[in-house]
Amino acid sequence: MNAIEIRGLQKSYRVYQKKEGLWASLTGLFQREYNEVEAVRGIDLDVAQGEFVAFLGPNGAGKTTTLKLLSGVISPSGGEAHVLGHVPWKRENEYRRRFALVMGQKNQLWWDLPAQESFQLHQKIYRIDPEQFRRTRDELVDLLEVRHLLGQPVRELSLGERMKMELTAALLHSPEVLFLDEPTIGLDVVAQHNVQKFLKHYQAERKITILLTSHYMKDVVALCRRVVIIAQGEIKYDGSLAGIVDRFSGHKVLTLQFADGRMPGDLARYGDVLEIVEPKARLRVARSSIADVLSSVLANNTIEDVSVEDPPLEEVIAKMFAHTANEKKSEAVLPVETS
Amino acid sequence: MSHHPSYLGVFLTFARNSLIRDMTFRANFIIESISSVSWMIMNLGFYTLVYRKTTNIVDWDKYEFFVFIATTMIVNSLVQTFFMPNAQELSELVRTGGLDFALLKPIDTQFLVSLRRVNWSSLGNFVVAILLLAYALPRIDGWTLSIWHVLLYPLYIVLGVLILYSVMITLAATSIWLGRNQSLYDFWFYLTNFSRYPMEIYEGAWGTPLRQVFTFVIPILVVINVPARLLAKPLSSEFAWLGAFAFVATVLCLAVSRWVFKQALWSYRSASS
Repeated sequence: MNAIEIRGLQKSYRVYQKKEGLWASLTGLFQREYNEVEAVRGIDLDVAQGEFVAFLGPNGAGKTTTLKLLSGVISPSGGEAHVLGHVPWKRENEYRRRFALVMGQKNQLWWDLPAQESFQLHQKIYRIDPEQFRRTRDELVDLLEVRHLLGQPVRELSLGERMKMELTAALLHSPEVLFLDEPTIGLDVVAQHNVQKFLKHYQAERKITILLTSHYMKDVVALCRRVVIIAQGEIKYDGSLAGIVDRFSGHKVLTLQFADGRMPGDLARYGDVLEIVEPKARLRVARSSIADVLSSVLANNTIEDVSVEDPPLEEVIAKMFAHTANEKKSEAVLPVETS
Repeated sequence: MSHHPSYLGVFLTFARNSLIRDMTFRANFIIESISSVSWMIMNLGFYTLVYRKTTNIVDWDKYEFFVFIATTMIVNSLVQTFFMPNAQELSELVRTGGLDFALLKPIDTQFLVSLRRVNWSSLGNFVVAILLLAYALPRIDGWTLSIWHVLLYPLYIVLGVLILYSVMITLAATSIWLGRNQSLYDFWFYLTNFSRYPMEIYEGAWGTPLRQVFTFVIPILVVINVPARLLAKPLSSEFAWLGAFAFVATVLCLAVSRWVFKQALWSYRSASS
């Protein structure tokens, strides 16, 4: 059964085009130029109950906008979406008590109060049974190892500790769908790892549906089997992580270790030379010719060690983002309206 | 999990959390209480001086007028305690995108943003005002406490607070459209300034239209005048219609403010993350 169903979802904003300088600002008071920014341009997506899906994309690709649409914070310009059978932007209480949104860059806990007071408030707002509330809270703070910080004002917590409290607050009402918008942003490696570990465990245990956006490939590798890539408001890829490399990279990385200083001078004929650190060399070779290259190298040289790998995921994705960004530039943004 | 949020429970938690927060910043709390109380006492001193030169202002003698001032203090302190900090914060919530979180909660959004903070230090004036009433009322010629005073005065105070709340949340909701509304507080001050005097003051070529606008269009003259008159003046049939009108005005104000708020929410698009 699908927890999330999206059909042709669109969202465009009208943005005031501010010109440089005082005179332009003054004339801008009377005559404004607006640009229509299409943040989401017709997305179709199905997410099954219990799936953990990553949204990847460059900044401004429409990931956060999509999550906000699905949480009902904003309304779409077109298209449909159903989450757990509800239309999110109707903002029905029945829907709102079944999901949660966590944003790494914003906090909802009372800044000057200990987190436990904000948790109390959530108990009242979601009307969680006191006994169940206590159990859930204790379980969450123990898993996240922040029980000893419950009584400390939120403003005195570190970023990582605060994020763990935010996660606890969001999960107190046991949501069935969770939207995570860059939950590990700005966290150090240890805190990042803790949050990943927690999310993995929690999702496996509760079988809830999670949509995650993140710029840290480590999050994605650790957590999600399915990846959706969004760029310019459109879905560019939907599939497995490994599939990204197959689809967007036609190359393999070949690492050769030559026997005692017998590295040939004309390595470039086998492929693009990425790096030479004697006695090792790394080459980028087109996937289709990898077998030929390998046999030719082995026939003509004394090789001590060899490995053939996929290029790093980050690199493939970065290249793909750069590619779509170029496409975007060539497509001029038209001023649509003056008033 | 029950399906309806407990509004009272949520409100009490807001009140409790605000108190905990206020107590964390004790010095600030005390200074705020003292400054608002002393501002009111200076105000009172000013009118005492005025009443040395005259025996009445538009038919309100000194002690009757003290009741009027006390009523103003009660209504304003209630508005400042429960609604003012929230209306001011709404603009900030919109600008920073914090409104997102309010929209996620399974509870009425207007309730949530209107009552999330309680500014306890503003209740200092409430206490002073009650003392002032206790001082002034027995000194009014021929005044006796009736059952109507006890029943209707608190009721009209509540109506007055609700009217002011409606005006305030309507003004604050415009910040959802404008992105930022710094002038909210100024505009609020100009408006409520009119409500601080007996409505008989507004007479003549300029005064009468002004009175009509602030009675029927933005009914802020009703806010203080109705409860103060009820308590300080003998009940007269002449003002019975005003008493009835206060009910209608309150309901209309709440309805309009709710409508404006909903419209504003609908067009909310949330700040970039």
